[in-house]
Amino acid sequence: MSITELPATTARGSVAPPFERLSEERKASVVRELSALLGERYVLHDPYDLMLYEYDASIDRSRPDIVVLPSSTEEVAGIVKIAARHRVPVVPRGAGTGLSGGAIPLYGGIVIAFARMNRILEVDYENMRAVVQPGLVNLHLSNALNPRGFYYVPDPSSQRSCTIGGNVGENAGGPHTLLYGVTTNHVLGLEIVTSNGEVVEVGGWTPDRPGYDLTGLITGSEGTLCVVTKIVTRIVHLPEEVKTMLAVFNSMDDASNTVSEIIASGMIPAAIEMMDQMILQAVEADMHAGYPLDAAAVLLLEAEGLREEVKDQTERIVAICQHNHARSVRIAANETERQLLWAGRKNAFGAVGRISPEFYVQDGVVPRTKLPYVLRRVSEICARYGLRVGNVFHAGDGNLHPLILFDSQVPGEVERVRQAGHEILAVCAEVGGSITGEHGVGVEKQEEMALIFSPVDLRVMQQVREAWNPEQLFNPGKLFPRPGRCAEVKQL
Amino acid sequence: MGDFASFIAALQEQLPQTAVLLDSATLQRYAVDEMQPRAVIVPSSTDETAQVVALAHQYQVSLLPRGGGTHLGLGGVPKSLDAVIELTRLSRLLEHEAADLTCQAEAGITLAALQRQLATRGQRLALDPPHAEQATIGGILATNASGPRRLRYGTARDLVIGLRTIQADGEIARSGGRVVKNVAGYDLNKLYIGSLGTLAIIVEANFKLHPLPAAERTLLLTFPAVTDAMRLVSAVLGSVLTPTAIELLDGSAARAIATRTGLSLPANGYTLAFDFEGSLSAIHRQMDETRLLARQHGALMGEDLQGAEQEAFWEAVRAQTSGELTCKATMLITSIAAYLQFAEQLCRRLNLEMAAVAHAGSGIVYLELHPAEVSSELLEALRLLRQQAQEGKGSLVIERAPTALKRQIDVWGPVGSDFPLMQRIKQRFDPGGIFVKGRFVGGL
Repeated sequence: MSITELPATTARGSVAPPFERLSEERKASVVRELSALLGERYVLHDPYDLMLYEYDASIDRSRPDIVVLPSSTEEVAGIVKIAARHRVPVVPRGAGTGLSGGAIPLYGGIVIAFARMNRILEVDYENMRAVVQPGLVNLHLSNALNPRGFYYVPDPSSQRSCTIGGNVGENAGGPHTLLYGVTTNHVLGLEIVTSNGEVVEVGGWTPDRPGYDLTGLITGSEGTLCVVTKIVTRIVHLPEEVKTMLAVFNSMDDASNTVSEIIASGMIPAAIEMMDQMILQAVEADMHAGYPLDAAAVLLLEAEGLREEVKDQTERIVAICQHNHARSVRIAANETERQLLWAGRKNAFGAVGRISPEFYVQDGVVPRTKLPYVLRRVSEICARYGLRVGNVFHAGDGNLHPLILFDSQVPGEVERVRQAGHEILAVCAEVGGSITGEHGVGVEKQEEMALIFSPVDLRVMQQVREAWNPEQLFNPGKLFPRPGRCAEVKQL
Repeated sequence: MGDFASFIAALQEQLPQTAVLLDSATLQRYAVDEMQPRAVIVPSSTDETAQVVALAHQYQVSLLPRGGGTHLGLGGVPKSLDAVIELTRLSRLLEHEAADLTCQAEAGITLAALQRQLATRGQRLALDPPHAEQATIGGILATNASGPRRLRYGTARDLVIGLRTIQADGEIARSGGRVVKNVAGYDLNKLYIGSLGTLAIIVEANFKLHPLPAAERTLLLTFPAVTDAMRLVSAVLGSVLTPTAIELLDGSAARAIATRTGLSLPANGYTLAFDFEGSLSAIHRQMDETRLLARQHGALMGEDLQGAEQEAFWEAVRAQTSGELTCKATMLITSIAAYLQFAEQLCRRLNLEMAAVAHAGSGIVYLELHPAEVSSELLEALRLLRQQAQEGKGSLVIERAPTALKRQIDVWGPVGSDFPLMQRIKQRFDPGGIFVKGRFVGGL
């Protein structure tokens, strides 16, 4: 086999692709071809149908020209071939719950929605593997496995609606990734469609495949390298026992010091989540999870494993909370109480929607020992811009989620929010952290990539895209810093 | 190839502090698959390493990065080899942020030296490949080496959070970072791990660490039939028990380990070793429940190991994966028993000796075959063993073999449909072929 001939490397800095919006005429001919492949029903192209697909859960939006709903890998490959021939960009989309604009078609073109490719293809309990289609809703996999005592670990807060394909695209995390790792630690193999429409298998059912770890490279590549059409995941046995604790604090510092002390003591609980006062009030107003309204912060902690270990860990965690002046530590007495505590946390973003017309979520990561300092800086920054901020985040991983409240009707507020967000990420970078822990770069944090990566680092990454997606057919204009922004800011 | 003499002259002039070894005894010692390098270069810092690579790039000289040399047998015969660049002088632990459970180390530090320093703060890197005293971090990552504990802690891909690499043009690049959760940009760490130095030279690594366990115990069980042993493995994996490692040894491997350690292990049948870590109360309960399950599966009880004996046992188990001719076969866990039966019959028929050690909970079987000299029987055996592994959805890589054998059979096996994607990456990262070719999958 010979090495494929490749076009010359794009010059540094100029990464904006030369896509132009489709003319009506070209669009009509692409629609014709796609309809012949999929059937007219599964090719959406009038503005009314497309509106739903112009945004995700971030604050950017851009309308696709065409949305397709394939039902098989072969159809996806056919779509990619048509798109490549017409030079129309392709953006894969799961449930549109992404928080960084990963599914926004910046240059229009074709959005592949995976709603019809949502099946569990195979489950092998003895070998602890499941094979699923990308459109499968995350929680549906665990629901299917639970009766046999198994589950799929990564559990993003949006797991009731987000898809496993989207999770692979973003390398999604969730509260329980502290002990067990994020999506990439649970995906073993993929079936993909390349930019020339070929179907290729990477990785597989068994570990340590000879060759480069392409599964690891593709996971988290935000749809910019290929389109994923099948996923082989690890599944694991449910733990024997789970104990969920709610520790209440009168200061943010005490809560963050507790987190640092737990990790430093050599314990890795299954989850450590933090919520501050604003979030607690929003959640209580929304659903009565039983959170205290007057606390400065609470920690939601979970120990799981064998009952001996859980007992031991629970005792040590309670002692550390008390040592850090916890006002109280409540242990969920049963599964109902436990579910209620978690429901509050998982619905926190939605609850904030009740107290503010809009909010902007950041996703910085910092070394866990830097939490108290960084949280203070976040408050200072938001105060300086006159913005309200709430914090609900994966404290055990050092993965912050400041929610900045705003109203885009107020002139200039959106820009102030973006500025504050940028400053927060600059603080994360300054203490040795990252600009995104689980939401992805997308359109939202392209400029911020330069806060943590040098021009050389970025050039090396771009080599991968140039190798596999040289024309930027897949999800163009994302991930890397670019000269100007194209998407309009969401107007409500 | 390039202008080797000018390369050496430039190196000596521009980097006088860098060791450049040219004597024949050294070159002989650094031969890879009987191919001697023309120079051995030992830089003492990251910047020096980068400058060496930049010069190699300029003069089109091919480089083979090397750590402690414990896993240098992995890979095909190199196409050509100008210089070996050895990283053992980059041997510092740069930072150990104990309260964050992370560390940053230079690539040339040995695993044992790293573990000793981390242990002073009660932590460790949860990787346990063989030969920890010689194997360096860089070599372990480049070869994706692992050990029995991977069942619980995963492999390098699960523990590396950042890397610093020298690219083929001599530029220094970072991937990942210092925090345990990070999705900014492509995860190039995954690409470098296991890439056998074909894309870049790893000079620094950041790791996620684990606390040292409060206690550790090993339970040994013996089974007349491999099928019963593997049924127990499945029963334990399908339960709430959380062993750190489950290792399966055949009679020959058990004999070899017994000889090496002085432990008494059964020479007939199969031995299963369960490693448990954590609090003593949890360990004892897990051992009791495993024994109970074991009785139902026809096991004979062996002894429990702890302390120095336990350490010696696991050390010997790891070393058992590095014989003169060692194959690593991956497969479904449920295929292991049949695979071992197949291998035994095959070896009997072809007059070969075999010793097997399996990471039974991970679906990985290491087979040592004798005699290792090229013969039609051996080639036939390797072909059939590979085919059988592929039928179990896996693969077979010949990790160690005499050079003559490597010339007869592809140590990696056939390439898959994803190979053109790998080629394109290699082409982009190392268009000039600075990093030695011929050793990795498909000749990359």
